[in-house]
Amino acid sequence: MSRFRLARWVVAVPMALLALATIYPLVFTANVASKTRREYILDRFSLAEAVRVENLHTAWSSVGMGRYFVNSLIVVTFSVVLLLLIGSMAGFALSQLRFRGSSMIFLGCLAALFVPFQVIMVPLARTMADSGLIDTYPGLILAYVAQFLPFTVFLMTSYYRTIPPEIVDAARIDGNSVYGVYRRIMLPLGTPALLSVGILDALFCWNDVLISLLMMPSAENRTLMVGVTSLRGQYSDDIPTFASGVLIAAVPVLVVYLFLQRQIADGVAAGSTKG
Amino acid sequence: MATPAARRGERLAPYVLVAPAVLTIVVLRLWPLLLGVNFSFTGDGERDGTAVGVDNYLELFRDPLFQGALGNVALLVLLLPVAVAIPGLIATFIYLRVPGHRLYRSVYFFPAVLSPVIVGAIFNLLLAFDGPVNAALAAVGIGRIDWLGDPDVAMFTVVGVHVWATFGMALVVFLAGFATLDAALLDAARVDGASLPQTIWHVIVPSLIRTIQFVFVTTMVGMLTSMFGLLYVMTSGGPEGSTYLPEYYIWIQQGQMNRPALASAASTVLFLIMLVVGMLQISLLRRAGRED
Repeated sequence: MSRFRLARWVVAVPMALLALATIYPLVFTANVASKTRREYILDRFSLAEAVRVENLHTAWSSVGMGRYFVNSLIVVTFSVVLLLLIGSMAGFALSQLRFRGSSMIFLGCLAALFVPFQVIMVPLARTMADSGLIDTYPGLILAYVAQFLPFTVFLMTSYYRTIPPEIVDAARIDGNSVYGVYRRIMLPLGTPALLSVGILDALFCWNDVLISLLMMPSAENRTLMVGVTSLRGQYSDDIPTFASGVLIAAVPVLVVYLFLQRQIADGVAAGSTKG
Repeated sequence: MATPAARRGERLAPYVLVAPAVLTIVVLRLWPLLLGVNFSFTGDGERDGTAVGVDNYLELFRDPLFQGALGNVALLVLLLPVAVAIPGLIATFIYLRVPGHRLYRSVYFFPAVLSPVIVGAIFNLLLAFDGPVNAALAAVGIGRIDWLGDPDVAMFTVVGVHVWATFGMALVVFLAGFATLDAALLDAARVDGASLPQTIWHVIVPSLIRTIQFVFVTTMVGMLTSMFGLLYVMTSGGPEGSTYLPEYYIWIQQGQMNRPALASAASTVLFLIMLVVGMLQISLLRRAGRED
């Protein structure tokens, strides 16, 4: 018993150090973002003399972070809405309705889950270019939907399997069509899963850089994360402004995390245990 | 009663509901896979569209950059146990209620939600030759390390940052596994006077074998397919091509070198690697299933 307690205190030290190592990089970046260039060059560690927003303002306005931000917002919003709609429809059908080929379709989704984007990116870029979808919002949205749909279908199907079939039967007896059951029963009942999966999908899309680089080649169509990569070249000798840009790109995710960490963690855990 | 037309509509309803998903996945995931394999046997540039047999593959395996990329894949496989053990151990400590365990869970998970691009940019600052990490090392009397500029060090640096950024995901998966663990087994171990390492090895590891396997595979897949952002921002494959991975090689050949067919060949090789990883998972899970 006492040995157990002692061991717990022994590991408490590295655990605390690790927590520090997890938080420190962001604190460092926030501190640098608040410094003047002179302050940064003289001493990297010292606390900034004051909380300054000039660097944030420079980063925001000079390389078009504002525009990139809006691009990301548009693309992520449409992608997530489409993912949840298509994913919940398929999840409902695959879990609650009996029809020929349903297990084949589910297996196909699982197989697609194991096809990484890097493997299909060359032909996908060609197809998109042939259809005139390269460098357009719909093109990138389609690419995101295609990329994250297998995961979304998989989790929605697992979730809807936990809903007793009697609920569907009762709603059918009450005179609902299959579509009515989906709209009036399944969508509302699926809210917790839609929230978890939706947040994860939104994070994946928001954080992506590879798909966006490939699908949105021109400068004004960049998403925020691609915009961040172009900051470095611009501000290689002005690290505080560079750090400010990084901070701007990180803040939305940090806010989401502060309020919704439980749902994010639940989504990740569901993906692992339902397999 | 419903009209025949309405009844037919009802019968077709499941197909209507799955149609958008099936269309998207077939047209934009599975079909491109076949196109890509087919494309890898055609030529680039002047030989665009003509069949060239296995020329691309021969060129690929002769390319020192791609050889380096494959070597790095092997390195990742070797580092895999470490990348799994870290979140596993931490989850164990949190499960055993180390002082502060409630806080740690949310603190450790937080880098996992950051984009690799942001993580890479932050660590570019921290790991710069005249940056704070080296300053801290100098303060304790260790010489500076060229974290991203030394070909022998750079890949380890990038993998380390990747582990820093993603161990929270694996941690959450492990904690979900712990939620299914039978607490009575742990109590029994305590009563029997088992030490912490004994408890971990004889009680926790066998009970969580499925979770461990799952984390092994997802961590491997993550290392093979989600380090692009880090490589792009931190090293661009350098120095001296020492931080290439197949995924980065594909990007360079497609995006910079205008060699889409060669990129497709590299994609196909990456897919085969992923397939082997997937097969391994299935066979491991089967074996675990038989033991139950």
